[in-house]
Parts: sequence; structure tokens; C-alpha cells
Amino acid sequence: MFVMSEIEHTLRLPPHLLNRPLNAAIKGELESLFLDKVIDKLGLCVSMYDILSIDGGFIFPGDGASTYTARFRLVMFRPYVGEVISARLKESTKDGLRLSLGFFDDIYVPVPLMPNPYHTEPDPEHKNGTRWVWEYMGENYPIDWADEIRFRVHTVNYPPLPVEQGKDSEQKDSEEKDSRQKDLKPFAPMVITGSLDADGLGPTAWWV
Amino acid sequence: MKILQSNAGVLTNCEVLELLKSRGAGKDPTRVIAAVAPSEFKVYDYLEQTVASKQTIEIIHKFVEDCKKYDLANGEMLNVVNIRPSSAVEIDPIIQDCDSRMGDRIDEFLENVVQVLPPYPSQLESNEDTAEDKEETTDDQQMGVK
Repeated sequence: MFVMSEIEHTLRLPPHLLNRPLNAAIKGELESLFLDKVIDKLGLCVSMYDILSIDGGFIFPGDGASTYTARFRLVMFRPYVGEVISARLKESTKDGLRLSLGFFDDIYVPVPLMPNPYHTEPDPEHKNGTRWVWEYMGENYPIDWADEIRFRVHTVNYPPLPVEQGKDSEQKDSEEKDSRQKDLKPFAPMVITGSLDADGLGPTAWWV
Repeated sequence: MKILQSNAGVLTNCEVLELLKSRGAGKDPTRVIAAVAPSEFKVYDYLEQTVASKQTIEIIHKFVEDCKKYDLANGEMLNVVNIRPSSAVEIDPIIQDCDSRMGDRIDEFLENVVQVLPPYPSQLESNEDTAEDKEETTDDQQMGVK
């Protein structure tokens, strides 16, 4: 689930941090820059592992702050395809499930990757929700909210940042866009698609 | 920003948990004083709920040594350490081509897993029916705590 990545970054150390020891100041700056952010192809930055080296300390003309080049290792959350992970259920709709790890919520299990055969029924507890039930050997196994659900990573996508439309088109169909944007979910820079369609996957209560 | 090495090493859940604990994540009930960010606390909360909270680096080293003879891929061993499957059906999605590669040795491998890796308390409860398993797992807990 977690991988270390080695990064080199040039950063400007603001002057108000000059009274702090260099390591701590650089670590603080880097953490505010990278922590809880998604880096394309590397995954979600969870924590800083260590700082390997700090070079530089040059002051550019006209600037009050010094610039350092730091090499450091970050702990990235980047599951590999085929990894089995335990998660909790966050949403259950007609399009599939959405699972959450607490620190990462964009895990979707679309309908084609649900355990087959299944049937769905409207959820009595959540309006607009759907309850998924797996049928196996004449028994019905529902996916309930309290379960710990194991899924296998099918794909990991890093969708590109959405680009805003030009100004002309905005004026014309601004109303349309507003109503569409209300339905859209907030942009997710890293999306994991999971599969529940194999022995041993799904709620652990089914197998233990 | 320059990426020097995108994969400088894989970490088990246990190692990440140890890293967060060494920064003071576990001891601070107010969650303000420790040098740990709120997003890191979320990771800490998630990992505390898994079997990783009961493992140590020594246990993992021992497990890797014991399992060299099964010729598993690194990713598969990592997954087994993170999940701690206790039955054949749980192992099936983790190890590819499980039947053809392991065949009869699957029971031996499961024994190894259950003995070396400490269980998470909820797993212990579900094993109460099988008295034999319970004895083995309670022994592990004592070993792990030392």
C-alpha cells in the first residue's frame, strides 16, 4: 500500500523561519507543500520519511529569503494493481459502491466488478441509496454498512485537472453549467477502481 | 520538483505505523502537540484498526525468512503481512494461481501465517469456535507483546 519515493525540490525558506533549526524549518515547509497532496503517478503523499540532503542556502538578488535544494523521501500511498485492501463502505448507489480508508475516500467499485450474481434493493436507511445483495448457492449475502470490506485494486487513475471553458461560452450557457456543476462531485486527483468479484473479497463477514 | 526515484522501497503497514508512532502519534490524546499533521492522524487511525498495530519489525523479518521457501512475489508477501489471512479462501485473491503454485502446501503456509503473525482482536473472537486455533493465537499474542 505504501511506497517510498525520492524527490528533489528547490524551495524558498521564508525569512520568518530563520530562527528555527534548518532541518525543522525545511521539513515544515516541505510538509505544508506535499502532505495530503496527490503527485501524478506517485500517489497520495502520506508522510515524510526523512531528508537525505539539504544544499544551497543561496540568496537571490532582490529576495529576502534563502533558497535551498533538498533531497528527501516521502511515504506515498500507491497501491499496486492486484493488491487486496480492507476498507469501509462510504456510499452505496445504483452505480456501485464507494469505499473509504479514512485518509482516502475515492475508491469506487462499479457495477461490472460487483460479485456476480447479485440483486439490488432500495436501502431503507438512506434515501436514494441502494443495497447490494450477493446471491450464492441459494443464500443472500447483503453488503451492510458495519462491515469491513476487502477489495482488490483493479486500476489506479490520475485524471487530469479539469480545464475551464473559454469566457464566451461561459456567458451563454452559464445556467446550464451551474446546474451541471452542482451534480458533479468535487474533483478527485486520484481514483482507485476496485473489484469485489472473486473468492475472499467483499465483506469479511461473508468468509470468516 | 524533480522525481529522483519513484520507487525507493516498499513499506509494510507496520513500518508506516512505527514511523508515525515514533513521531508521537500514539501518545498524544489531544492531537495538537505531536509533530503529526491531521491527515497523518487519519492514516494512523486506519492502521491502528488493522493487524499492523500488533506487528513488529522482528515479527515481519521472521515471517519473510520462514516464507522464502514458498517462492512468493514481494507484493504477495507484503499483502499477506498487511492482511493476515487465516483461511484458504482469504488467501485466494492475494496469491495468483494459488492452487497450481501452492497446492497442498497452502495449509502449511497458513499455519505459518497464523503462528508468526499476531491476530487483530476481532479475528481472535471469530476463531473462538476452533479451540486449537485459539491456543495458538493466544500464544502469539504473548510472544508478540514481549
